[in-house]
This record gives sequence, C-alpha cells and structure tokens, in this order.
Amino acid sequence: MSPSVQVLAVLRRELDVERAGREVMVTTAPYVAAFVVLAGLAFGPAPSELARTAAGTVWLAVLVAAVTVGHSVAGVEIAEQSWDLLRGLVDPGALFLGKLLAVWAALGLTWLFASALVAVLFDAPPPGSAVWAGVCGTLGLAALTTALGVLVASGARRRGLLAALVLPAGLPALLAGTQLTTPGVPALPWAVMMATYAAVLLTVSWAVFPALLEE
Amino acid sequence: MTAPLHPPRSTPADRTLTAATAAASLVALVLALVVAPPDAVQGQAQRLMYVHVPAAWLAYACFATVLVASVAYLLTRDLRWDRRAQAAGELGVGMTALAIALGSIWGRPVWGTWWVWDPRLITTVVLLLVYAGYLSVRGLGDDRGTGARRAAAVGIIGFVNVPIVHFSVVWWRTLHQPATVLSPDQAVLDGRMAAALLAAVVAFTLAGWLVVRRRIRQLALLDAEPAVADPEPARPLVVTAKPQP
Repeated sequence: MSPSVQVLAVLRRELDVERAGREVMVTTAPYVAAFVVLAGLAFGPAPSELARTAAGTVWLAVLVAAVTVGHSVAGVEIAEQSWDLLRGLVDPGALFLGKLLAVWAALGLTWLFASALVAVLFDAPPPGSAVWAGVCGTLGLAALTTALGVLVASGARRRGLLAALVLPAGLPALLAGTQLTTPGVPALPWAVMMATYAAVLLTVSWAVFPALLEE
Repeated sequence: MTAPLHPPRSTPADRTLTAATAAASLVALVLALVVAPPDAVQGQAQRLMYVHVPAAWLAYACFATVLVASVAYLLTRDLRWDRRAQAAGELGVGMTALAIALGSIWGRPVWGTWWVWDPRLITTVVLLLVYAGYLSVRGLGDDRGTGARRAAAVGIIGFVNVPIVHFSVVWWRTLHQPATVLSPDQAVLDGRMAAALLAAVVAFTLAGWLVVRRRIRQLALLDAEPAVADPEPARPLVVTAKPQP
C-alpha cells in the first residue's frame, strides 16, 4: 500500500470513528458555544468592549478546544487496544498525515463555528484576513496537537499534561490569529508569522513523530 | 532499598572551571557594584541588570543546548545526549524563573509596578511553562528510553517559541527596553557598565557550565544505579461488614 493510500485510509478511519461516536463534535461544539457565551458575559455587555475582545475570544476558544481535540488523537485506538496494531501496519509519516488531516478538519470546523458565533453574538464581523489565520493557524495547531496528543496519550500517566504542553506552544497562533482577525490591523506581517509558525510546526512535528511511535 | 548515590567526584577540569567561575564572579561583582556608575535615570536599581540579563542569556543558552542535545539524542539514541538535555533544561527553567523574578523587582521602582502585560514578560513566562512541561514529560515514560524520546520531542517543539520571545520586543509595541548591547547605536551604554555586564555574562556562563557538568555526572550515576523498585501497588479496597454483637 502506497503512503498516499495509507494517509487516505487513516483519514477515512478517523472520519468513520467520528461519524460513529461523534466524540469530537459532541465535546467540542458545546464547549466552544459555552466559552463564547461566557466570554461575552465576562467581557461585555458594552458593544465596544465586545468588538474589542471578539478576535481574541475566537482564537482563545480554538486554542483551548485544541486540548479537547488532542485527547482524541490516539485515545480511541488506545482504549480499543488497537494502537499497537495501527502503528505496526501504517508508515509513521502516513499515520501522522492522516491524523493531522483529521485534527485539522476538527480544528478548522471549531474555528469556523467560533468565528460565526462571535460574529453574531458580539456583532463583530471578521475581516478577510481572518480566513488566512483560520487556515494557517489551525494547521499549525493541528500539527502541534497531533504530535503532543500521541505523546501524552501513549503514556501511562499524566494525561492532563496535554493542556500544559499545547497552550503555551500555541501562543503564536493565538497572537497572530487575534491580530489577523482584528479589523484595521496591518495583515501582512502577521500573515507571514502565522505561515511561518504553521510551516515550522508541521516540519518539526513530522520529524519527531516516528520517535513518539516507538516502544 | 538501594545504596545512597555517591556525589560526583571532582575532576581537574572541574577544579579549573570552579576557579575560573570564582574569579569571573569576583571581577563581575567589583565591576558591577564599585566601578560601574549608577544609571542617571534609574539610579541603583539599574544594577539589577548585571544579574537579570546574564540569567536571561544563560536561560537562552540552556534552551539552545536542549534543542541540540534533543536532536542529537533522536539521531543517535545515546543517553549521554539526553542527560545533557535534561541538565540544561533544569538550569534553563531555573534561570528563566530568576530572570522573571529579578525583572519584576527591577520593574517595581522603574515602571512603578511588579508586573505589566508586556509581550516580552508574557512570552518569557510562556517559555518557562513550555520548559516546565518539557521536564514534566520526563516522568511520562514507562522506561528510561521512552521518557527520553518524548522529552526530546517536546524539547525540539518547545524551542519554536524561543525566537518569538526574542523578537517580541521588535514585533510588538512594548514597554520593555529594546536590546542595548546589540543596538546599532554604539554609544548608548557606558563603557564601565558594558564591562560589568560582560563580566557578569562570563561569570554566569562559567557557573552554568559547571552546574550542568556536575548534574550530567549525577544523572549518569542515577542511570547506572539499579532501578528503584516500584512502590507497592495500591491494594483494592475491601469492605467487610462489621460483625454484629
């Protein structure tokens, strides 16, 4: 089986698992909705305050939701005791890419959902540059979440460490994403920073991923 | 029960390094406290720079060492590299915490507050959290090699944040003082202050090198010791009915 076929097989399996259990959707969507509503109550209700905090709320919601998504990266396979079989059968690069695409899709939808909620509830429509932030930022976070999700899930202890690892390392996505989602901020430097962050994390996570699969 | 670990034996290189560290520290102390004048604006509080900046420098050097040693470990699987990474990571976390604490003490008289939501400060705290996570990951593995591999992965990924911390002063509008020594304007720092700062950086670097060397040897001893037996597992809870009289 070629690597690209393996990638698609892993991705298809991830989507099948999600379709069957709706684990990510059931946990992430209500979480993001609660986060946005509570943030609106905490930062508002003055429209000017809501408009000022809208961009940050979107990216904080995505970043915190990445921790929830990260627990499902290898959690199902480990619970079903099929993780050893999967990593034995599939090429590490293909396994990484398949998992990455699934996490990227989950985080992309999370970002879309959070953006839509904030745009409506905070009355703060995002600028066009927010789309670039959504694409690149969720890609970088997906790479980070995939690598660290496998790292923490395959350990016997300290599962709660995932938040302590993902949140600080996701800081560049939070900052650049917030700036790119704020109307009137020059987009180019932040767009470059976000693309660099995504490219670096993608490369580094792909490089270290095989080491995380070893016994 | 295992035998207590013997302290790492001092080598001639250690003794030379200790002497060099002591000499550099003495020179740095004299230059920083006696020779260098107080700052025209900040007064005596500015002397904290001679500890704050070297601590930050040493932290960066330690995290760079973690990166290099982590990459080398993943390539060679030689535990000596992992021990270097761990020793440097521990010192880096300590130095970052020291730099933050000293910066806060310095900021109180100069900025009028212990803490400001300045990007440089925030990202430095985040850096501290990343490497605290790096050290926590070491306890994840069921065996020495697994823990080392996972730590190496986090050590490499975590370093992504280091350039962002460094360049945050340039990228964001910030209250934090921009780089003085490396500034294109050559006349901004008094020569005596620059000499004191340089001596302090040398002293911190030598002391850090000494600490890391000794810690590496201690970790090697720990690796050589037979594994401490796992503590007795928790017994299942058994509930028995109290006999009725």
